[in-house]
Formats: sequence, C-alpha cells, structure tokens
Amino acid sequence: MTHSADNPLEHPEVQLADGRGYLLVYLFSSALLGAATWLVAKQAMAPLGLFLLTTALAGVVVVAQGVFLLHMEFSETQRWHTVSLVLFIPLFILTIGLSSWMFHGLYRRTMLTPRTAAPAAAASAGAPAMPGMDR
Amino acid sequence: MSASASETIDPAQAPLWDRNHHGHDVIGTRTFGFWLYMLSDAMIYAALFASFGVLSHVMNMAGGPMPGDVIRPGYAYGETLALFTSVLAYGYAMAALRRGRAGGVAGGLLGAMVFGAAFLGLVGKDLGDLFALGITPERSGYLSIFFTLVIYHALHIAVGLLWMLVSLVQLAREGFSSNVVYRLVNLKLFWHFQAVVWVFVFVFVYLQGVIA
Repeated sequence: MTHSADNPLEHPEVQLADGRGYLLVYLFSSALLGAATWLVAKQAMAPLGLFLLTTALAGVVVVAQGVFLLHMEFSETQRWHTVSLVLFIPLFILTIGLSSWMFHGLYRRTMLTPRTAAPAAAASAGAPAMPGMDR
Repeated sequence: MSASASETIDPAQAPLWDRNHHGHDVIGTRTFGFWLYMLSDAMIYAALFASFGVLSHVMNMAGGPMPGDVIRPGYAYGETLALFTSVLAYGYAMAALRRGRAGGVAGGLLGAMVFGAAFLGLVGKDLGDLFALGITPERSGYLSIFFTLVIYHALHIAVGLLWMLVSLVQLAREGFSSNVVYRLVNLKLFWHFQAVVWVFVFVFVYLQGVIA
C-alpha cells in the first residue's frame, strides 16, 4: 500500500500475476469439485458423510483460490487485503449461522413439519369439537 | 504538519487541498478500496445464503418441487467449468499485463468474455427450462431464494462481461495508462471473486440441495 511508480506495470499488484499458479488452481478446483459432483450424483455414501465431505472439499477449494487467485498472503502489498478478509470471515459465518440457528429454533416451536403434521391431524380429527367453535 | 512553532502561516496563502500526488500509491489505494467494496458485496451474499439456509426447510417447499427436481449436478458442473475457464483466461490476461503485452491482455479478456458468456448461457438455459416446466420463483419460498441466489450471481457475471468490453475499448484507446491498469487489476479482483462465490453456490445450493 506504500508503493509509488511511474510505470504502472511495475506496480506490485500487477507483478503478482502468476500464470502457472492460475493454471494450477484451475486444475485443482475443477478436479475437486468434479469429484464432489461425482460423489453426489452416485450417492456414494450416507447423506451426512456426503454433506461433510462436500463441505470439506468446498473449504479446500476456497482456500486454494484465496491463495492463488486473490493472492491472500502477508506481503507488504497484500497484507491489508488479507487482514480485511480474515476480519470479514467471522461476520460472514455469523450472519449465516445465527440466522439459520434462530429460524431452526423458530421452526421447531411454531411450524408443523410433515413428520409431526400427520399425528397432529389425526389427533385433531378424533378430538371432540369445542363448544362455540361451530362454523 | 512539518511547520515549526516559530513559523507563521498566512491563511490567505496556505493551500487547503494539495491536488498533486506526492508518492501516493494510487493503484494500491484504489485497489484496496475496491476490495473493501467487494467484501461488502459479499455480505449481501451472506444475507442470501442465510435466507437460503432458512428457506430450504422442507415446509418452505410448500408442497412444490423439491431440490432434487430442480437441480442437475452434472449440468451445474458444466457451468462451473465454464466459469473457471473464464477466470483462468482472465488470469492469463493479467500475466500478459505483467509482461506489458497488449495483445495478450486483449486475448485473455476476449477468452474470459467467451467463457463468461458461455456460463451465462448455460445458467439462462437451466433457469429457462425450469420456467418452461412451471417451476417459478413464486411457487415456494425455497424456489424464491434459489432463483434469487443464482440470478444475483449471474448478474455479477453480466456486469463483469460489460466491464471487460469497456476495458478492451479503453486498452485500445489509452494503452497501459495508470487508469487502465488499476481498472484491470480491480476487474481481476471482481472476476476472480465471482469464482470463489460460485464455489459456495455450487456446493451449498446445488450439490447439498440434492443431498438434502
């Protein structure tokens, strides 16, 4: 962030470009996501196992892309980019995680899922009508 | 702030704003500013993914199509390859920029545009097929967020393609001026960031939708 140059092509952010790294992460990402697609299409394991494995593969691909595509490292040029991303990640996770957690609790208390709807419907069908509730 | 206490400054003569750059890193500052903007854009994605987590509950299918009826993992992988190839082509454009080769930059941008357009075409056909089957966003909460997420990402790709077109024109007119170079660096951030976001969309919306 402190660089000054008359020739913009000599700027460190331009000099970060690395064709070999881009090709490497392209092949790596394509292979890992291809494997994930194959596993899901074939239902190669139990749903929980597939869920965890695809999450792990996504995590590895995202880290690889962060390093090779976005150049997240601690050189003088990229230090603050990396710091801002690291500080951003908890916000990203909290936003998604807390929303899902809150609504998971809400659904459990307020919504009839198909599993609970059938017994509830059967119970209400057999129950005597409450006085004053005729329509 | 270098004036000593004994010096007096004439307010009528003192410059209030120095418009010249004295060793100021214009490219670095603008790129970092754009990076922060990208992170704020990612917070919109966070809100969309949070909504997806909420609306992918079985009750939000509203008796309509389930994820398994909507998603074709193999087809979505084709979209992934198109986008990743576009990102690779843009990477080669940046490698050519590093060497100062205008032809290589233009070729990389054109390649990125072709594969980016292919990605958009594949997504458009996928969503068009769903519409033809009567599977539309208003059918259920799940479909609303599914279409919103995919279309929001596709809009980014469309904006990126337009930006590349403008960059090609500016490159032809100005060559490697400071303005053109920092815009190309920012566009690289934007384009490569879309690949990272797509990994989330592909895995958490498409693949794990089928698993669920």
